[in-house]
Amino acid sequence: MNINIDTMNTVLNCVRDGVSFILVSIGYMKIFEKCGVQKRWAFIPVLREYHLSLCADKEKEGRTYTILSCLIYVIGIAIALLNGHDMLLALLAIPFVGIVVAQVIFEIKIYLGLIDVFGRRKRWIWLFIFLEWFTVLYWGFSKKLVPTRKVQDLKDIEGAKEFGEDITVADEGLTVNIRNRSVIDFFKRKVLLKDIHMTIPKGHMVLLLGGSGAGKTTYLNAVTGYEQADAEIKLDSEDVYKDYTSMKYDIGFVPQQDLMRGNDTVLMTLSDAATLRLPSNISFQDRMKRVEEVLEQFGLASVKNNLVEKLSGGQRKRLSIAMEFISDPTLFILDEPDSGLDGVVARNLFEKLRQIADEGKIVVVITHTPDRVIDLFDDVIVLAKDQTRTGRLAWYGPVNEAYEFFGKDSMEDILLTINQKDEGGEGKADEFVEKYADRVKENVG
Amino acid sequence: MWGDGMRKVRLRHTGRFIQTFIYLGKLFRMFLFQNDWKVLPMSAVIAGLVSFAVGKNIFVTMEGTLMGTFALACICVWNGFFNSIQMICRERAIVKREHRSGMHISSYVAAHMIYQALLCLAQVVITINVCIFMKVKMPSESLFTAWPLVDIGITLFLITYAADMLALLISSFARTTTTAMTIMPFMLIVQLLFSGSFFNLPEQAMPFTNITVTKWGLTALCAQGNYNSLPMVSVWNNALKMKDYEVEGEKPLLEAFKMIEENDQRDAILKESGSLNQNPDFNFDRGVVVKCWIWMIIWTIIYAALAVIILEFIDMDKR
Repeated sequence: MNINIDTMNTVLNCVRDGVSFILVSIGYMKIFEKCGVQKRWAFIPVLREYHLSLCADKEKEGRTYTILSCLIYVIGIAIALLNGHDMLLALLAIPFVGIVVAQVIFEIKIYLGLIDVFGRRKRWIWLFIFLEWFTVLYWGFSKKLVPTRKVQDLKDIEGAKEFGEDITVADEGLTVNIRNRSVIDFFKRKVLLKDIHMTIPKGHMVLLLGGSGAGKTTYLNAVTGYEQADAEIKLDSEDVYKDYTSMKYDIGFVPQQDLMRGNDTVLMTLSDAATLRLPSNISFQDRMKRVEEVLEQFGLASVKNNLVEKLSGGQRKRLSIAMEFISDPTLFILDEPDSGLDGVVARNLFEKLRQIADEGKIVVVITHTPDRVIDLFDDVIVLAKDQTRTGRLAWYGPVNEAYEFFGKDSMEDILLTINQKDEGGEGKADEFVEKYADRVKENVG
Repeated sequence: MWGDGMRKVRLRHTGRFIQTFIYLGKLFRMFLFQNDWKVLPMSAVIAGLVSFAVGKNIFVTMEGTLMGTFALACICVWNGFFNSIQMICRERAIVKREHRSGMHISSYVAAHMIYQALLCLAQVVITINVCIFMKVKMPSESLFTAWPLVDIGITLFLITYAADMLALLISSFARTTTTAMTIMPFMLIVQLLFSGSFFNLPEQAMPFTNITVTKWGLTALCAQGNYNSLPMVSVWNNALKMKDYEVEGEKPLLEAFKMIEENDQRDAILKESGSLNQNPDFNFDRGVVVKCWIWMIIWTIIYAALAVIILEFIDMDKR
């Protein structure tokens, strides 16, 4: 008799769980429909959680939420299978409790995001937590509840047309032929950059312009070989990717932040950088001579015995640049070197970079305030996000021609033109990407 | 000037050996300028506190030795953890930049290992001197060298160094100092709780004790202190508390104590009590101590190797 009651309880529990799952799934199916997500995901555990986070515009949190849900299912199944193994069950129970707590926290974040997307009051969260199936069904079927923004499915959108051909490698200078740069991001392939071709001659100082997420850093990493793309990058006639081990010393990359040890002296910082970057057959005297030269060149000789943390913002930035310049690289790349500097100091810094370019180097600079120093640049590269959110080349060429091409009279206006509408721009990225591709085709013949 | 030449001739750049010395130099400068030297006086203060609290009976009685060696192992683990818990994570972005510019991770970790070894050595010397200053009785017999203090010092060093390398490992995967400092107490509790001998653990939990530095450190210290030759006082002390217990109007325990004292048999009984509670793991034997040392060295190597492997992936850090 006892066995029968136990069996009945188990069956009833299963039925209850099953009905609850179906009701919740139906509710989510309708919510997904409203949000522009495929309805079938509502019935597949784990994937449902991820797509719910897309509806809630909380993709980042959704990834963790999905992983946690997956772990809960896996550990739950393991616990069911290990019935009787008390020690193992105890070991599994400890992480299980922690994961459940974390999952509840992330669930609340996702629900709050969903409530925000639907423009409702936060008090709905209580119903989502304590009466999920009812709330989800109501939100799914109620005609009054509609999302303020929908999930955009990029698969159905076509990006701007491509130039699609590699350009001829120049004997001197930097030749860039990036066909594609993509990553696998949470089981999805994401194209970050596509169809970027150019040749930058030696002695040119080039501005790299692009809105947030346009792929500026990805482009620089691909060009330097730090993150390799489906591409051919040649510095003079040397292949950067094939000879990366030796080529990396001929490419200087100055990051945005001043990444140096504050509690070391200027001289030792530069001297250590010289030991790391210069060939090992250079004598100590020659190395120190080079250090002294660079200290002079960057106006740091008077503070060479000071601790780095005691330097001013401008001095620190110059030291950061000097650390890369010590090996006299042919290609010199700087990511926002003027961030945190006032106008005069920034101008001085860019003039210094101009001098470096005039020595026959290629200097590529990202800056968010280009107009105050634009007269120092020869060329500008404009990267733009097309409709598929892929970084594309909208322009590469002389600064004056860029104004004409975009019909604007400042770099900031060019940026506004190509930025997407949801970023406050004019959303003309695709138009200019195609126009530029046509122009290059014409020139190439 | 240098650039073109470098590409055409494929010149060699600074190798791992020289790079190790570059970073060693940086670490010693940071020792001075970044106040990393503060860990030395801190170790003296901790050693002083522990000597004051549990130093009286260490290497004198079995109970005092167990408690005292546990405390000594804890000092070492604490020192080791604090030496390097923030060393890498506080400059993670710098390490990433330097790795991009040709720095070898193995050289970077090797420099840390050499620097930390010297720091741990200094802390052990300080700890032993403080213990002596606080009149803590140290073992009079040695197993390896002619000086018992050197033997004890080697064990203390290995405990500190293994803990130091564990902290370096944590520091190499923690992205921020806050994360590292959050993980540290958890690791500390694991080290203390699973030391094996001090807390009575269920049989199933005993295999986990092998992963702790405290277990091997405590075992080696007890063996070197000749734990099994020491008297056990807890039975005597507990019985003494019941000396006034009456049976049919008489106090048999008090009578027994009086008789033992009159015959000067107290020490013999304490010794006998000790001999009945010997632990073969703590035998005054070279094999026991060598086994513990080897375990600690193995863990040290594993922690350092894992730190290198983890840091090799530093380029994957997001901006």
